Amino acid sequence: MDSQNPFEGEIYRRKGGNSVREVRHGSRGGDIELLGLSHKEIGDDDARLVYLNDPVKSNERYEFAGNSIRTSKYSVFSFLPRNLFRQFHRVAYIYFLIIAVLNQLPQLAVFGRGASIMPLAFVLSVTAVKDAYEDWRRHRSDRVENNRLAWVLVDDEFQQKKWKDIQVGEILKIQANETFPCDIVLLSTSEPTGVAFVQTVNLDGESNLKTRYAKQETISKIPEEEMINGLIKCERPNRNIYGFQANMEVEGKRLSLGPSNILLRGCELKNTAWAIGVAVYCGRETKAMLNSSGAPSKRSHLETRMNFETIILSMFLILLCSIVSICAAVWLRHRKDELDILPFYRRKDFAHGAPQNYNYYGWGLEIIFTFLMSVIVFQIMIPISLYISMELVRVGQAYFMIRDMLLYDEESNSRFQCRSLNINEDLGQIKYVFSDKTGTLTENKMEFQCASIWGVDYSGGRTISRNDPVQAVDGKILQPKMEVKVDPQLLELSRSGKDVKGAKHVHDFLLALAACNTIVPLVVDDTSDSPVKLLDYQGESPDEQALAYAAAAYGFMLTERTSGHIAINIQGERQRFNVLGLHEFDSDRKRMSVILGCPDKTVKVFVKGADTSMFSVIDRSLNTNIIHATEAHLQTYSSMGLRTLVFGIRELNNLEFEQWHLAFEAASTAIIGRAALLHKVANNVENSLTILGASAIEDKLQQGVPEAIESLRTAGIKAWVLTGDKQETAISIGYSSKLLTSKMTSIIINSNSKQSSRRSLEDALVTSKKLTITSGITHNTGASDAAAVNPVALIIDGTSLVHILDSELEELLFELATKCSVVLCCRVAPLQKAGIVALVKNRTRDMTLAIGDGDFPTSVRSIALCFPEPNFGEHKELRCANDVSMIQMADVGVGISGREGQQAVMASDFAMGQFRFLVPLLLVHGHWNYQRMGYMILYNFYRNAVFVLVLFWYVIFTSFTLTTAITEWSSMLYSIIYTALPTIVVGILDKDLSRRTLLKYPQLYGAGHRQEAYNSKLFWLTMIDTLWQSVAVFSIPLFAYWASSIDGSSIGDLWTLAVVILVNLHLAMDISRWSWITHAVIWGSIIATFICVTIIDAVPIFSGYWAIFHVAKTELFWLCLLAIVLAALIPRYVVKFLYQYYSPCDIQIAREAEKFRSPRELRNTKIETNPILGSPHR
Amino acid sequence: MIGEATSSGGGGKDDSPAAVSGKKNKKPNYSRFTQQELPACKPILTPGWVITSFIVVGVVFIPIGLASLYASEHVVEIVERYDKDCIPPDYRNNSLHYIQTSETDKNCTMTINVPKHMKSPVFIYYELDNFYQNHRRLAHGMHKEFPFKSHLCCLWILKVEFSSVVDMIELTQFGARNLLFGKSPQKISLDKSENPEFVFIRMTTKVEKSARYVKSRSDKQLRSKASEGTTETCKPEAVTSNGQPIVPCGLVAWSLFNDTYKFSVKKEVLGVSKKNIAWKSDQEHKFGSDIYPKNFQNGSLIGGGKLNPSIPLSEQVDLIVWMRTAALPNFRKLYGKIEKDLQANTTITVTIENNYNTYSFGGKKKLVLSTTSWIGGKNSFLGRAYIAIGGLCLFLAVCFVFVYLLKPRPLGDPSYLSWNRNPSGQMN
Repeated sequence: MDSQNPFEGEIYRRKGGNSVREVRHGSRGGDIELLGLSHKEIGDDDARLVYLNDPVKSNERYEFAGNSIRTSKYSVFSFLPRNLFRQFHRVAYIYFLIIAVLNQLPQLAVFGRGASIMPLAFVLSVTAVKDAYEDWRRHRSDRVENNRLAWVLVDDEFQQKKWKDIQVGEILKIQANETFPCDIVLLSTSEPTGVAFVQTVNLDGESNLKTRYAKQETISKIPEEEMINGLIKCERPNRNIYGFQANMEVEGKRLSLGPSNILLRGCELKNTAWAIGVAVYCGRETKAMLNSSGAPSKRSHLETRMNFETIILSMFLILLCSIVSICAAVWLRHRKDELDILPFYRRKDFAHGAPQNYNYYGWGLEIIFTFLMSVIVFQIMIPISLYISMELVRVGQAYFMIRDMLLYDEESNSRFQCRSLNINEDLGQIKYVFSDKTGTLTENKMEFQCASIWGVDYSGGRTISRNDPVQAVDGKILQPKMEVKVDPQLLELSRSGKDVKGAKHVHDFLLALAACNTIVPLVVDDTSDSPVKLLDYQGESPDEQALAYAAAAYGFMLTERTSGHIAINIQGERQRFNVLGLHEFDSDRKRMSVILGCPDKTVKVFVKGADTSMFSVIDRSLNTNIIHATEAHLQTYSSMGLRTLVFGIRELNNLEFEQWHLAFEAASTAIIGRAALLHKVANNVENSLTILGASAIEDKLQQGVPEAIESLRTAGIKAWVLTGDKQETAISIGYSSKLLTSKMTSIIINSNSKQSSRRSLEDALVTSKKLTITSGITHNTGASDAAAVNPVALIIDGTSLVHILDSELEELLFELATKCSVVLCCRVAPLQKAGIVALVKNRTRDMTLAIGDGDFPTSVRSIALCFPEPNFGEHKELRCANDVSMIQMADVGVGISGREGQQAVMASDFAMGQFRFLVPLLLVHGHWNYQRMGYMILYNFYRNAVFVLVLFWYVIFTSFTLTTAITEWSSMLYSIIYTALPTIVVGILDKDLSRRTLLKYPQLYGAGHRQEAYNSKLFWLTMIDTLWQSVAVFSIPLFAYWASSIDGSSIGDLWTLAVVILVNLHLAMDISRWSWITHAVIWGSIIATFICVTIIDAVPIFSGYWAIFHVAKTELFWLCLLAIVLAALIPRYVVKFLYQYYSPCDIQIAREAEKFRSPRELRNTKIETNPILGSPHR
Repeated sequence: MIGEATSSGGGGKDDSPAAVSGKKNKKPNYSRFTQQELPACKPILTPGWVITSFIVVGVVFIPIGLASLYASEHVVEIVERYDKDCIPPDYRNNSLHYIQTSETDKNCTMTINVPKHMKSPVFIYYELDNFYQNHRRLAHGMHKEFPFKSHLCCLWILKVEFSSVVDMIELTQFGARNLLFGKSPQKISLDKSENPEFVFIRMTTKVEKSARYVKSRSDKQLRSKASEGTTETCKPEAVTSNGQPIVPCGLVAWSLFNDTYKFSVKKEVLGVSKKNIAWKSDQEHKFGSDIYPKNFQNGSLIGGGKLNPSIPLSEQVDLIVWMRTAALPNFRKLYGKIEKDLQANTTITVTIENNYNTYSFGGKKKLVLSTTSWIGGKNSFLGRAYIAIGGLCLFLAVCFVFVYLLKPRPLGDPSYLSWNRNPSGQMN
C-alpha cells in the first residue's frame, strides 16, 4: 500500500472523481505511455454511439455484444478438438505423440499399437476429464448468471427481462442491493441530488462505498412518462475499470461523462432506493469481463534447473540409441554373408519364387531404423511422467497450504490462496524478500495521533472522546463509529469558539480535516430504536478516514455529502459548505485541494499534502516562525514513525475565484487532455498558501511483524522494505518492526546527483567490506552467517535511486546491497519498486519474493497498464507503477488479501491475510515443498533411467535388435501404475522435519539457499547409483540363468519385478515419515505390480503365457530377487549412512534432535501448541 | 484457483467469531490429515540400526549362499560339445556343405563317461551358443497387426497374379471379405479361358497385410484350427509359394532344432522320455490339439526339423519347447529325460543325428546331461553372490563398529548445526 505513497505518509485514493486521467482505447495498447495523457478525441470511428432508450438503433450495425456472457471454453462439439489442441501445446505431450506416431510406422513398430498409445491416452484423458468438469461448472454458473432478471424499460414500462437479453441502449432500473447486469451510464437515482452509492467489492474487492453521480440534466427525467432522447458517444470497450470517457447529448446540450457517471457490471447498488441508467457496454464488452484474466504463469527455479538435467538425459538417451544402432550396424556388417540364411535372421524370403529381401533395407536404413526404434524402446529416459506428477504434487501441496490453519486469517476470514500452481517449491529458496510497508507490514488502520497547529504541538495526554455534546440531526443523535483519543488542550481550544486566541487556527485546521477529503458519511442503519446512530465514514483512503474521525472527535463532524455540498456539524451547529471544486490527489502534485464556499460567503481553498510538496506552495515569507516550528514537529513525528500531512489554506477573492472557476469548468468538460488541464488549474490555485499545521497519523504494525522479520532474517533471507515514507519514518518503523536492530551498522545513502550517489555508494562499499572482512571467515559455513555476525543495513532514498537505477551505478548498488542483510528504501516512487526488484532479480540466481497489498491510488492510469497486454512487450511490468508490478516482477509474488483491493491478489502467485504468515509459508511449507520436489525430481530421473538401463543391457544380448524381455505392457505400466503413486504421495506428504523444528530453527531454511535438495552433485551421484543399480538388476539374473533353459518371458518377469521392488524400496529408504498412507502406497504398488504381471501372463495370446507361474515356483527366482534388491541398495545405504553420520547436514541433525533429544521439551511444546490446535473445535 | 475450488468444501463451523457479516466462515477444519500431522514413524539411520541390519543380512545371506553352493556342487552335469567332432574329417574344411546336402550321413557316435552317480531323472539338454533366439526377427511376444484397425473400412486393390491359385483359403487368409464382381466371398471362380494376366480383387475390409517388422511367429495360429490362416505375422515363412498357409508358420518354428540323440549303455538302449518336457500350460492353452502341421519345411530352404503331420501341435513337445524362446544367446533346451539312475563310471554311447546347421554362424552345439537340485542346474554364481554380499555386509558391520567406537558423533547435538559451529568451521 505504500506504493501510492512516494511522499510523506499520505494516502489518497481517489478513483471515482470527476476527472478522467487516462483512457485506454481498447486493447490496441500501442499508444500507451506511462505519463502521456490520451489526446484522442472520441471520433466517430473510434466511438460507440448509444441512443438512449433505442436499442434497435443503437444496435443496428450489430457490432455490440449482447449481454449474455460465456466464461466456458468449450461447447459439447468443440470440446474434443479444442481441448486436444490446447493440451498439445505442452512439449511433453508432443514428445509422447511423436513416440506414439513413430511406433505406428510398420518398420519401427516396437510396441503393440495399444500399448504404445496408452501413456498418451492416459494423460490426455485425465486432463480432458478435469477440463470437462471445470468447464461444466463454468457453463452452469454462466447459465445462472445469464438468467438473472433485471428491470428494463420496454414500452414505457419497466419489465423484467433476463440478463442475457439486455441490449446496449436499453434503459434499466436497478433496485437497492441489486447487481448491475452490465455497464450503465447513470441517468437518475432515488436521491434528489442524483447520487448513487455503489459497492465494488466484486470488481476490485474494496468494500467501502463509492459515489456515482447522475448528470443534473437527466436527474429529473422519469423515463416511464417522458421519452428520453439522447445520444451517448463513448469510447470503445476497454479494461480500465477506473476510466471512462464519453459525452452525452441530451436536449441539445452536450455533457461530458466520466468514471463517476458509470456503474459497472458486478457492482452493487447500496443505500440508494433505485437507480436508472442506460446500458452502454454489455456482456463480454463490460469492463468486469474484460478484466477477468488469470494470474500470469511462472516457471519455478527448480523446474528450470531440472530442464538442464533433462537435456543431459536426452543426450544420454541419444548416446544409448547411437550405441545400439552402431553396434547393430557392426553386427550386420560382420555377418553380412550369413544374413540370408541365418536361422534367426534370414534376410531372403523364398516363398515366392525368386528370393527377395525380406524386411531388410540395406544397412544404412537399418541403422536409422534401429536408432528410431531404440528411441521408442528407451522413451521413458525422458521422464515425461515427471511433469504430470509434478503438477499433481503441486496441487496436493497447494491443498495442504490452503488448509493450513496457521495460514488462515481470522480477522479477514481469508484462507491462504494458491493462484499459481507452478512455483510451490520456489518458496523454499527465497533469498530476497521485497516488502511493501503500508498494509503489508502495517495494518493500514490509521489512527490520528498528533497535530501541530499554528506552530503548537498537541500531542499531550490522551483521553477517549465521548463526544458528550450530543449532535442531533433530524432528531437522530449521531456518533462517529470510531473513537479517537483526543488531546484535552486541543479539545478545549476547539470548543472555545473562534474568539479565543489561537482558536481560529484550530478552527480552520479542524475544518480542513473535516472538509478536505472525499469521505462519504453514512448513517449506519441498525434496527435498534436507540436514537443514537453510528456515523460511518466511507472513504477510499484510511488516512482520510482517520482525519475525518479525528475532526469529528474535536467537534467537526462531517455529516452529509452530496455532489454539490457538504454539511459539517461544528460543535453542535450544522453548517453547510458548497463544494465548488475539488482537485484530486495525483502523484505529480502530491497534494489535494478542495474549494469551499463557506457559510460566511467566503471562498477558501484547503490543501493538504506531503510536506515536500506543501512547503513548496506555502508562502514562506509569512509566518516564518510557524513554518519552522511545524517543520521541527514534522521531524519529531516522522521519527516516531508517524505519517505526516501538512495543511494549508488560502482565501480566494472574487476575481481569483472567477478565474479559477472559469478555468476549472473549461478543464473539466474538456475532452482533449482533460487531466493535463485540470492539473494546470490545480497548480494555479494551490499557491501562496498559509500554513495551518500538520497532522500525524499512526500506521500500526500488523500483529507478529517484528517476530516474522526476525525469523526471516535468521533464516538468511534478506529483507528489503520499500516504502514511500520519509527517511525518519521509515527508520523508526524499521526499528519497531525489528527490521533494524541496534547491532546493525546502518549505511545511509542520501544524495541528490549521480556523482554524489556514486561517491556515497563507493564509500559505503568500502565500509561494508571492512565490516564483512572482520566476520568474513564465517563465509564457509553458510552465507547467512556473514550477515548475522555483523549485519549491515542499507538505507537509501528514492532520490538517490533515481540516479542509480538504469545507470551503471546499478552494479555498485547491487554489490553493496548483497552485502547488507537489510535494505530499506524510503521515499520510493511506485514506479521504482519494480525497478529495484529487477535490479536484484536480473543479477543473481537467488530467488526473490515480493509481498504487497497492491494499492495504487497514486496513479489510476497504471491500473490499466498492469493488465497483461500482448503488445506491451517485455517491459510491461516496469510500466505498472505499484505493488502489482513488483509482485509480477519478482520470482514469487505474494499478495495480502482480505482487507483492501484485490489487484495485488489478482497479480500474485500466492495470497494470504497477514504478513506474518510469510514465516510459516516460507520456513515450513516452502521448505517442505522444496525438499519434496527436489527429491522427487531426482527420484524420477533415477526411476526411469534404471529401467531404461536394464532394457539397454539386455539389448546387448540380443545382437542389438531391441528385443525386450520385459513385456511391452509392463514397460508402459511401469511409470503409470507400478511406480507412479508412491513418488506422488511422498512428494505431497513427506516431511523431513516437523513444523515446530522448522519454526524453532529458521536457519534450516538455508538448505534451500544452498540448493541441498537438488544440485548437480546430487544428480550425478544419483546417476552413478542408477548405473550400479541397473547393473545389479540386470547381471544377477544374467549370470544366474546363463546357459540355462530359462525363457525370455520368465526372465523378463523377474527383471520387471526386481526393478519395481527396487525403485520402491529405494524410495522407501529415503522417506522421512511413514504414515499409513505412505505404507499403503509403497507396499500397495509392489503388490499391484505382482497382480499386473500375473494378469499379463494369464493372457494366452501373449507369448509369456503362464511364465510367472512357472518361474515363481523355483527358489532361484526368489533368491535372485532378494540378491538383486540387496546388492543394488547396499552402496546407497552405506553412502547415505556415512554421509549422514559423519558429514551431517543441518536437516539431519535437526531430525535426530527431533527424535532423540529431550522428549520432555518435546512434550512441553506439544502442550503449548495444543490449545491453538484444539480451540477451533469448541 | 485451488482456493476457489476447495473453499466450498470447508467452513462447516460458523460458531467462530470470525464469521462476521454473515459470510461463510472459511476457516479450515482441523484434522490431522489436513494439518499434515498424521501419526508417523520417523526412521533415522543410527549406527546401531545400520550395524544390526548389516549383521542380519550377513547372517542370513551366508547360509543361503552356502546352501546354494552345496546344492549346485551336488548337481552332476556332463557337457559334451559335438558340433566339431561330428563332422567327418573329409568335410572339416567344408562343414557347411556337409550339413546342407542331404547326401551325407549325419550320424555320429560319441561316448560319455558318467563321473558320478546321477540320480534319476537325468535331464537331457541341447545347448546352443551364439544363437539369438531372442533376436527381434524371431523373438516372440508381440502380436503385430497392420496399422489399420480391422473394422476400418479401407479399400485395397490387390494385384493377384493369375498363375497363383486363387482360392478361398488364400483370400480369407488375406482377410478378404468382399470381393469384386459382387460375388460372395465364399466362392470365387475365375474363368481360366479368359486367361487374364492379372485379376484385380477389391477387398473392402480387414486387410491385414503383414507388418514388415514382425516377430516371426503366430501365437494365434498355434492355438486352433480356426485361425490356421492367421499367418500375417509370420513372414518370411508364412505361406508356401502357392499361397498355402504354413503350419506352424514363422521363422521360429522354421528353425526348429532337429538333432536327435539316442543313448545306450553297453548296447542296451536307454529310453528317453519326452513326457513333461514342455510346459503343461503351453500344451493345454497355447498349442491347439486340433491343428496339425501343414506345408511345414516344404519350401526351397529348409531351416530345421520337420514335424509329423499326423500329430497335433499340442503333442509336438519338441516344437513347444523350441517355441518358448530363450532369453539369452547361450541357452539350453530340454530334450528329454532319462528316468533311470546312472551309476558312476558308466560309459554311455550317444548316437547323434547331426542335422542342425550351426556352422553357418559358428554356433556351438552341446549335449548336456544333468541332474537337478532345488537351485536348478549346476550354477555356482548365485551361491557365490550370496556369500559375497553376506560377507561384505559383515565386513561393513565390523568396519562401522570400529569407526563408531573411534569417532562417535552424538545424535541430534545442536552444536553440530552449521550456524552453531565455531567460526573456524571445524567439527569437534
